[in-house]
Amino acid sequence: MTDPVRLAESDALHARALAFVRAFEQGEAAPEPFDALAVDLARFQARHVAGYARLCAARGVDPQRIRGAGEAPAVPTDAFKVATVFAFPSDQARLTFRTSGTTVGARGAHPMRITSTYDAAALAFGRAMLAPDLEAPMPVLVVGPSSQHAPDSSLAHMCTTFAKAWGEGAWFLRDGELDVEGLRRRVAELDARRPAVILATSLALAHLLELAASLPLPAGSRVMQTGGFKGRAREVDAAELRRSVARLFAVDERHVVSEYGMTELSSQFWEGTMARAGTPPGVYREPPWARVVPVHPETLAPVPAGEIGIARIEDLANVDSAFAVLAADLVRRVSGGFELLGRAPGAAPRGCSIAVDEMLGGR
Amino acid sequence: MRTVDERVREVRRLLEAARRVYEQRHELVPSLARTTGLSPQGVLLGFESLERDATDAQLRALVESAGDAAHVHVILSANVFVGALRALALARAAAPRVTIRPSSRDPILTEALVAAAGDPAVRVTSERDPRASDADRLDVYGGAAAIARVRAAARPGVSVRAHGPGLGVAFVTRAADPVHAARLLAGDVVAFDQRGCLSPRVVLVEGDAAHAESFAGALHTSLEEWAARVPRGTLGQEERAEARRWQESLAFAGRAWSGSQHAVGLGDRLLVPPTGRHVQVLQVAAALRASELLAPIAGAIVTVGCDDPEQVRQVAPLHARMAMLGQMQRPALDGPVDRRPI
Repeated sequence: MTDPVRLAESDALHARALAFVRAFEQGEAAPEPFDALAVDLARFQARHVAGYARLCAARGVDPQRIRGAGEAPAVPTDAFKVATVFAFPSDQARLTFRTSGTTVGARGAHPMRITSTYDAAALAFGRAMLAPDLEAPMPVLVVGPSSQHAPDSSLAHMCTTFAKAWGEGAWFLRDGELDVEGLRRRVAELDARRPAVILATSLALAHLLELAASLPLPAGSRVMQTGGFKGRAREVDAAELRRSVARLFAVDERHVVSEYGMTELSSQFWEGTMARAGTPPGVYREPPWARVVPVHPETLAPVPAGEIGIARIEDLANVDSAFAVLAADLVRRVSGGFELLGRAPGAAPRGCSIAVDEMLGGR
Repeated sequence: MRTVDERVREVRRLLEAARRVYEQRHELVPSLARTTGLSPQGVLLGFESLERDATDAQLRALVESAGDAAHVHVILSANVFVGALRALALARAAAPRVTIRPSSRDPILTEALVAAAGDPAVRVTSERDPRASDADRLDVYGGAAAIARVRAAARPGVSVRAHGPGLGVAFVTRAADPVHAARLLAGDVVAFDQRGCLSPRVVLVEGDAAHAESFAGALHTSLEEWAARVPRGTLGQEERAEARRWQESLAFAGRAWSGSQHAVGLGDRLLVPPTGRHVQVLQVAAALRASELLAPIAGAIVTVGCDDPEQVRQVAPLHARMAMLGQMQRPALDGPVDRRPI
């Protein structure tokens, strides 16, 4: 059933989140303090997401008394698998992103009522971090599925959004099959004066490296790589993969930029190698509307500067779901951003009980 | 070729050894507490699950399930500490010669049992390479990675019997008294701090939401009482982190009762908790729904506990052992604990 007051409230919050994005695009200061919108999002979500109200109550947090983003409990990514995490009637969902499947069944679901905030945030920060100096239209070659073939993949949605907004998109992965010959032909056709953008998963790139020795792109081209290798036989060292990818496409290593995102979020994080000279690889930057806070895995309190914690991600673009998400990844704050240090290891079993990770096929 | 009666007699010698070790258990408690991470009270409770007797029929069933070999080499890379007895019994039933390599982390009970048995056909070894053994059969107890390593290392012609990790689940019928059922199940949870493959981590409660909530609340109370008598042992940082994450998820998805040394979560979708006295309770309208919910983890289920020996059949996977609540950690010595296909 439609609730006009709730939807109007959500619309207003989306507009405020979007104002952060527009200000960033214009090179202007944020329109309001981060915490002001964060607090309003937490209150809104506690009113309209039953699970979040329960989580707040269990932690003794009164959403009406929250004064800063850090006071709001974060929703673990596992909650997206076992509960509904959205603040609108289910018939209002325009799109539902789902996490990849596991042997234990449940896939996390992140329904969205409005996708324009997600799209605007992704485009603005993605462009700034990957191709700030390139002019649209530009060739965009996606070594991943399109949103048409993988409608519940947030990554496919993001890549399709980039391809549509930036220029001429072409896809080279269908039903899990890499179209190497198609990619080779498309690369050969590229205008040497117009840099291109490759959008790919790390797994696809590792696979591509086994099948192709050289696919030289026009000078100044960029490569986005994203995702890990969890549960897959193929695993490649990140630095080695970057070197190999740069060699494959004949681009500068600095032009191979990693992106970090997840189904449960509406914002992404990017390495700053392209955007800021001298930024080392492996250091991810946040847009002004999102923060990554390393927290202690037991107390969930922020860890001291420079220490490793699990990622508590505050994302102002996650208006209708969970503005604070507790990921399972290890991170550390460093100068200029944060480092991503892989997934928090599951506990090693000490008896003959099965570890949750082993049941999930991840160990 | 040894007769069945001879094999039964040789297993009985191991049971006699188990009784002698049990009588001296207090001497072993400090060292076992160090190696297992259980509290001293937890070690004593674990000893109650050490098999010390069995009927002839049970031992004949064990012999039948044990197979036949000339030399069985047992590799214990992960098990609850009393699991050594059954591993030895199965190997001895199968072969006139047994070598056993206990977990380097936890060799104490294996060594004590072998010493007490005084059986010249059974010897403890510390050799880590399975190729160094001339055994024609390897019995390996451990995680998927350990099993894969042993399989890969086995010499041609050597058979490998793998006993992987697993978990227990329970089904509480609508007819059950939730408080009584919770008291019984709490004992199953507390044993070995839930680190055994028989330890229940998921409970399906048949009936309405109130019945499930009553059970979950009563389980929380019972586990708190157990914590006073048998404190939980040490949990590693990663175990504590997993537990916190699971509790946060269940607090969001339904309701979580966090005790001083345990947690109980109530939700309507399966999220298997980590070990260390954490239990998920799910309400189900009927046994059929319980089977559906368990389907994704059916292959990992070793045992199903229930208050009703008839109804449990509707829920348990075909391979799983079935037990009454309160008896999940004490299966008869009639074959491997784990009846999944080897």
